[in-house]
Amino acid sequence: MKFTNFIQSAKEYLRLHDFEKSSKKKSIKSLLKKLRTKRKEIKKSIKEIEKDEHLQELQEELDIVCMQIKKGKELLKELQDA
Amino acid sequence: MLHYLVLPVILSLLAYGFWISPNFKEIASGVAIFLFGMLFLEEGFKKFSGGVLEIVLQKSTDKLYKSLFFGVIATTIMQSSSLVSVLTISFLGAGLIGLAQGIGIIFGANLGTTTGAWLVAGFGLKVDIAAYAMPMLVFGIVLIFQKSRNLNGVGYILAGLGFLFLGIHYMKEGFEAFKATIDLASLSVAGVKGLLIFTAIGIFATVVMQSSHATLVLIITALAAGQISYENALALAIGANVGTTITAIIGSMSSNIEGKRLAAAHLIFNAVTGLIAILLIHQIMFSVDYLSSVLGIAEDDYTLKLAVFHTLFNTIGILVMLPFIDNLVKFLERAIGVKEDGEEKTIDTVKYLNDSVLEFPTTLMSAIYKETRHLYENAFEIIANGLNLKSRRIVSSADLDEVIKDVYSNTPVDMDDLYNRKIKGIYGDIIDYATKAQGKFPAEKIDEIYAIKLANRDIVEALKDTKHLQKNIIKYAKSKNSYIRDEYNKIRKNLAEVLRNINIIATTDEEDVMMLLLSKAKIHAKQNDVLTNGTLDELIRSRLITNEMATSLMNDSTYAYNISKNLVAMAEAIFIPKTSDIKNIDNHMIINEEDIKTMMEEKAKIEKEVQKQEKTEKKKEES
Repeated sequence: MKFTNFIQSAKEYLRLHDFEKSSKKKSIKSLLKKLRTKRKEIKKSIKEIEKDEHLQELQEELDIVCMQIKKGKELLKELQDA
Repeated sequence: MLHYLVLPVILSLLAYGFWISPNFKEIASGVAIFLFGMLFLEEGFKKFSGGVLEIVLQKSTDKLYKSLFFGVIATTIMQSSSLVSVLTISFLGAGLIGLAQGIGIIFGANLGTTTGAWLVAGFGLKVDIAAYAMPMLVFGIVLIFQKSRNLNGVGYILAGLGFLFLGIHYMKEGFEAFKATIDLASLSVAGVKGLLIFTAIGIFATVVMQSSHATLVLIITALAAGQISYENALALAIGANVGTTITAIIGSMSSNIEGKRLAAAHLIFNAVTGLIAILLIHQIMFSVDYLSSVLGIAEDDYTLKLAVFHTLFNTIGILVMLPFIDNLVKFLERAIGVKEDGEEKTIDTVKYLNDSVLEFPTTLMSAIYKETRHLYENAFEIIANGLNLKSRRIVSSADLDEVIKDVYSNTPVDMDDLYNRKIKGIYGDIIDYATKAQGKFPAEKIDEIYAIKLANRDIVEALKDTKHLQKNIIKYAKSKNSYIRDEYNKIRKNLAEVLRNINIIATTDEEDVMMLLLSKAKIHAKQNDVLTNGTLDELIRSRLITNEMATSLMNDSTYAYNISKNLVAMAEAIFIPKTSDIKNIDNHMIINEEDIKTMMEEKAKIEKEVQKQEKTEKKKEES
């Protein structure tokens, strides 16, 4: 058996090809958790804010965070389906 | 050739001095410890950049009267104007406050220090803060090892103050021999000659003892013992006031150009105040007598009258100098400019790359990353100055509208010269080492090296685009057409925002903040482009700017867009840690061009609908 083939079989046996995928899933989940907390914080600030100028800024941040959460969910789904 | 000899000569002189005089050794080590303390202090204040301290400082120094008041209170509490001026230099060095605010604090400190004369003359009290040096050092060092950024910052500040006090202590110890030889009675002279001699003695004694407080104690003791006349004591107090600026001058040696300007402002203020006091000595003495009688101070109570004099002449100094603060700032910016600063003229070279790192691939990769960050630090300074902004103000949490008002210089900086000295060599070496590294890494690592190379190119491209922008920024900053002036200020503000956000990304370890700021920067770059947001069309259609202005603005908006784009791309590659979750998923969760397009389309759609609704409501109301 060639050395590369041996490595390949060892990887398959130890299910190491899944390692990268599961590590990515873990990263996405961790980021989603942080982003959800951020979204909560921004929503809370929006309720408490008085100045219009800051409201616009917070609204923009909320849109960005929501978009990032959406992207994260899609990525996670792709990984789970693959 | 000559500058190669300077360092060995200084070192030899110091070594010789240490050999022949233990006192000199003590004084020199005192200065060294003092400067080390300054570095620690600046480091500590930098940790609070964007935090509570900055907010407190900004709120308490945003108006001139506030910064004056701040100086008075701080000096009254600390009982040392020298320490307050040194701390102010640290605030400036860390970009927490501006030069005008710093000058306000220094003026206030001069008034605050007069409370010392009242305490010494009235109660014979003196707060000995040097006794806290050792505990401060111990607590400081323990806190420095803490992971929390705030505790770490407090640790640096405490240790800095500890070293500062320790340095002053050693300097004083070293000068004890000098102090013992000062016999004021033997020098007692009447008239103008006596006035000038005793002013000079006051300056000398304060420079030697590093404390106007100590000089005041000496004066009051000598006055009470009848060793010197009342007039001579007043002259000594004037001299002590001028001599106390030496601590700030020593402190500014390790600071940046703003710190040096502040130390110069301190010297100018105290020298002018001293000159006024000498010229108007009889009038001031008459006022002191009058005020003393009003306050119920006995005619022969010269020690308290000295305190009245000290307060009065410093108040006069502040009243005289206050209207000229803006002129003073302008003068200092001209006199102590970038070109005059020798260290700014040096050629910067690589810090982390050398042939030994080539042997170890992991070290090499890490060195290339660090060197790219070093390149960006230099580029950041040049880009900020090219946009006529102060880099320290950009990284502070000051309002960006205020940051763009505080211009770096009235003349354009030589970007070609800065590029040649601070960028070219480092950039060339990074590319050279990165290319050499490619041969040492497996195929999957090649992409990473390629990404670093691109990041370096992005930095250089951003610099080149700033150079193109710079000409019109200077030109239209003075334009009578407020529309074009505003547009160029918007460009400066937007780029200052990008630079500030990149600085936050580089220093934070919160991944959600990194993602948010990177995404925000990308969206803003697109939104701020005058070509895509319709601003240019509107300005041309309404004939608010000339054709020449329109062409310039169109080109420069593109440059600004490219600068933002390149810097954000660089930040994505360099400032997000390799071990982070963001990098693990190849930055896929950060908003990209396509997402921005979707977001902008959705926004436009909502705006259209709102407009449509408003129109319908208006029609209904009309009918």
